[in-house]
Amino acid sequence: MDQESVAGSLKKSRDVHDVDRAELDQVFSLAYEELKSLAAAVRRSHPSAPLSPTTMVNEAWLKLARTPAVAHTSPLHFRRIAACAMRQVLVSEARRRHALKRGQLTGLSISLEEGVADRTLWDDQVLALDEALVELSRLNARQAQMVESRFFGGLEMREIADLLDVSEATLLRDWRAARAWLAGRLSGAE
Amino acid sequence: MMDARRWERVQALFHTVVELGPEQRTQALQRECAGDPALMTEVLRMLEADARSAGLLDAGLPQIADQMLPATPMGRRNISPWEIRHILGEGGMGTVFFAVRPDLGTSAAIKVLRDSWLSPARRERFAHEQYNLAQLDHPNIARLLDASTLEDGTPYFVMEYVEGLHLDEYCDVHGCGMRERLRLFRSVCEAVQFAHGRAIIHRDLKPSNVLVTSNASVKLLDFGVAKRLDEFGLVSDLTRTGLRMLTPAFAAPEQLRGEPAAMGADVYSLGVILYRLLTGRLPFDDLRRDLDLAALSLNRDVVRPSLVARRVQQKGNARVRGISRASWNDLDVICLKAMHNDAGQRYASAEALRRDIDHYLAGEPLEARPDTHWYRTRKFVRRHRIVVAATGLSLLAASVLIVLFMTRLSAERNAAIAEVARTQRIQHFMQNLFDGGDPDAGPSHDLRVAALLDKGVQEAAALDKDPDIQAELYQNLGNIYRKLGDLSRAEMLFNTALRKRRQLSGDSSAAIAETTAMLALLRVDQAKLDEAERLAREAVAISRGALPPEHPTIAIATEGLGRVLEEKGKYADSIPVLEEAVRLRSSPRTSGSDLAGALYELANAYFYAGKYKDAEAINHRVLKINREIYGAQHPRVAEVLVNLGAIQQDTGNYPEAEKYQREALGITRTFFGETHYRTAAGFTLVARSLVYQKKFDEAAPLLRDAIAVQERVFGRVHPRVASAVNELGTVALQKGDPEGAKKQFRRMLEIYKVVYPEGHYLIGTATSNLGSAFMASHDNVEAEKLFRRAIAVFARTLSVDHLNTAIARVKLGRTLLRQRRFAEAEAESSAGYNILRKQMNPSVTWLNSARADLVEIYGALGQTEKQSAIRLQLAQASNR
Repeated sequence: MDQESVAGSLKKSRDVHDVDRAELDQVFSLAYEELKSLAAAVRRSHPSAPLSPTTMVNEAWLKLARTPAVAHTSPLHFRRIAACAMRQVLVSEARRRHALKRGQLTGLSISLEEGVADRTLWDDQVLALDEALVELSRLNARQAQMVESRFFGGLEMREIADLLDVSEATLLRDWRAARAWLAGRLSGAE
Repeated sequence: MMDARRWERVQALFHTVVELGPEQRTQALQRECAGDPALMTEVLRMLEADARSAGLLDAGLPQIADQMLPATPMGRRNISPWEIRHILGEGGMGTVFFAVRPDLGTSAAIKVLRDSWLSPARRERFAHEQYNLAQLDHPNIARLLDASTLEDGTPYFVMEYVEGLHLDEYCDVHGCGMRERLRLFRSVCEAVQFAHGRAIIHRDLKPSNVLVTSNASVKLLDFGVAKRLDEFGLVSDLTRTGLRMLTPAFAAPEQLRGEPAAMGADVYSLGVILYRLLTGRLPFDDLRRDLDLAALSLNRDVVRPSLVARRVQQKGNARVRGISRASWNDLDVICLKAMHNDAGQRYASAEALRRDIDHYLAGEPLEARPDTHWYRTRKFVRRHRIVVAATGLSLLAASVLIVLFMTRLSAERNAAIAEVARTQRIQHFMQNLFDGGDPDAGPSHDLRVAALLDKGVQEAAALDKDPDIQAELYQNLGNIYRKLGDLSRAEMLFNTALRKRRQLSGDSSAAIAETTAMLALLRVDQAKLDEAERLAREAVAISRGALPPEHPTIAIATEGLGRVLEEKGKYADSIPVLEEAVRLRSSPRTSGSDLAGALYELANAYFYAGKYKDAEAINHRVLKINREIYGAQHPRVAEVLVNLGAIQQDTGNYPEAEKYQREALGITRTFFGETHYRTAAGFTLVARSLVYQKKFDEAAPLLRDAIAVQERVFGRVHPRVASAVNELGTVALQKGDPEGAKKQFRRMLEIYKVVYPEGHYLIGTATSNLGSAFMASHDNVEAEKLFRRAIAVFARTLSVDHLNTAIARVKLGRTLLRQRRFAEAEAESSAGYNILRKQMNPSVTWLNSARADLVEIYGALGQTEKQSAIRLQLAQASNR
């Protein structure tokens, strides 16, 4: 997912139409950077503690809420953007490891990480999901946003219903269909 | 291929059959998918997936992220085209590697930041801005070669590799004595000053960032790194990464409080480095990493270095032996002045600190000493910096003013006057005080300033045995009053100076020409433009008659005449005069800044004359000169960029205008800081270029920032605030938010009513703008009232045929039109239209909107001939 579609897809949702694009990109960048920092910080201090994206997104909000760039953003909207950022963090991590594995990153003197193979499964799945979501957003942008918010940002259905201005019942219906459709795409990548 | 409609169909069918039993489901599918096997396949695939686990989607993100995010281990890797060889060090900010380029056989130090990532969107900008990175080409500053990000977004910097020891290590290893230490330290100050002159602040000066090579020369590391990090928000925010990157023991209190660092912060850090060099200790040894910021930034009392050094000495430290009590006192003064908690009380610059080190080394009195001549002079200048800076006096003139006060202080007038001869030192001294000096920074009627000036006049009066100096002082004081806006006082002083000079040397000396030229500029301020022109011409004539052709006073007088003509709006006349001034300033003996000044005026004249191409070419010349003289990051450069932006704005190239204004803003912001009114003005200019591009949502926050700064600097009720509020109102109006616009225009009006006398034309402007907001909200009755009020103001204080009157009448015509009062509307619109047509540079927008209204009005009145006449003009105007 490139930056164009970040701002583009976020902009379509009702509550953000008045947030200007530069501000949105800024918030996105900050969220992205903060999520990576948080992951690293958690890993360093508690190597075996689980990393909960929901917690990370909330932490990121606590840290960033007072910065000028984020001040105009509501907590809910921030989590929506953070979900998008989380998606990109994971996708670029997966891509990077893919490239590592295939030796495509030039200038590498020592190969680095243990257990690269163990994570391949998720890498491929994350990339497949990302691709499928791009396709889904073409078919129905609202559904793609719902999946992104729920899966990558840990938003509750109730909150997503608020954000997208639809009833929870509609969302649950959307989710079931989207899940089934996406799962169909993912099974090919396993 | 699936499309949105097809997807709807797939989903609908999926929902229809998903809850059915197997048999019914099959039936339903066969029925619905008759002749569409692909649909059947798609839905069946979904039904199958629905019934089982969906892999990743059901695994839940925690598990996945947990496996995917143990972030990049800092392995040894190469950063093309560099090959990493070994680690040089690890610090709070990241890791520094030694790297080589096999192809070129060169080496470098690469600093890879820890726990910082740039999002993909920002990586490219970070990498590309190396071209904008002000290169510091100084023998004592390690060069920054490159900045970019690793593939995962981790920023890194490539820097010149320097082999050497940290400053304090070097001194200890080589057993340096005090003088040697101070000599090294003064080189550090020089390098810092060099960077400051280019508006680059280090923000993290400490001994480990100062290396001393084996041939005892100093190299400062990391200059420019902090600036870049700050631009990308990687250090500026204390709550995020900032604190980790600071080195608390060396950071200024304001940095610890999280305020943006200015040059004073580096001066503070220099003070701590000095402290360390003198004593071997840090002033606050108790600082831990997780310090209590609030407690720290308050009440930090430093133990005098001499006491600490003596204590350490008793423990067998030989460093400080053989230094007298008096010398120690001086070192205490220098160190503590550099480390003052209040940035305003520190040395004004690294240069000033370096000078005192030099004074110490030369056995001269310190500038910072509380009981010397210099100290008092300095204090005077410090306290009254506003005035001194406001005058834009030549340095020599300023030093004369200082001498005057020294006279008062020491009563040794002759000695003091002799001091003028040593102007080099004074000039040096003054220059540093004036760097970044700022004419508008303070309230012009500051009582203390006024009192001081009055005293100055008295002092000058007492110098009647020396009429020459006395006349010079009167002229200088007159200039100060002029800049402060006390025009009658200025006039009196200029006239006195003129009279004294006539008594001394008749009617036609260089000095008289100079004073006459200044009097001419005063007349401009007094709006007595004819008198101004007469005096300016007189000054030119006197100087040409009495002086050799290349005398600088001729240039001064000529430039003055050019400016007067420019002020009169006689641009065509002013251009050749200013061309002449430029020619006079082009002699090799003239300083580049004088030439740039004349060119700057000439460019303005071309600009006002509408000759944008010429104005642009000349401004580019000024830009080049100013960049050479002042460096790329100086306010003088920003001024020219602003003018270049204005040219683009006036010629309708708004994106280009935006570019220039943003570049100017960048400089202003770095130089003056975030909360300076000049920065606010910069915000406004960028915002204006955005407004014309209809980027209202980008413009509005800039304007709000501008207003916030101006409120802080000038107070809530001030014309500058009102002017920015006006812009914000205009944005609201254009965005289609008349209620928001009303709020802003009302505030603008309130401010003007307080600060200006009744009937001031700006009150009319605010009233008229408020009217526009009412018109936009379809309240034409209220709008009409306001427009009538505005017109009355304009007609009284400007004139009945002024552009503002015209615009207000066109607006009034429109509200009447909206009220279907066609005959009255016709009277106003056509009156406004006729005034507009007579303007030298009529606003096309308003002309056309008056025409459009008139077409409608004549139509309603059934005056078809007039209607078609106007319609024709409208068509012609749009063809042009």
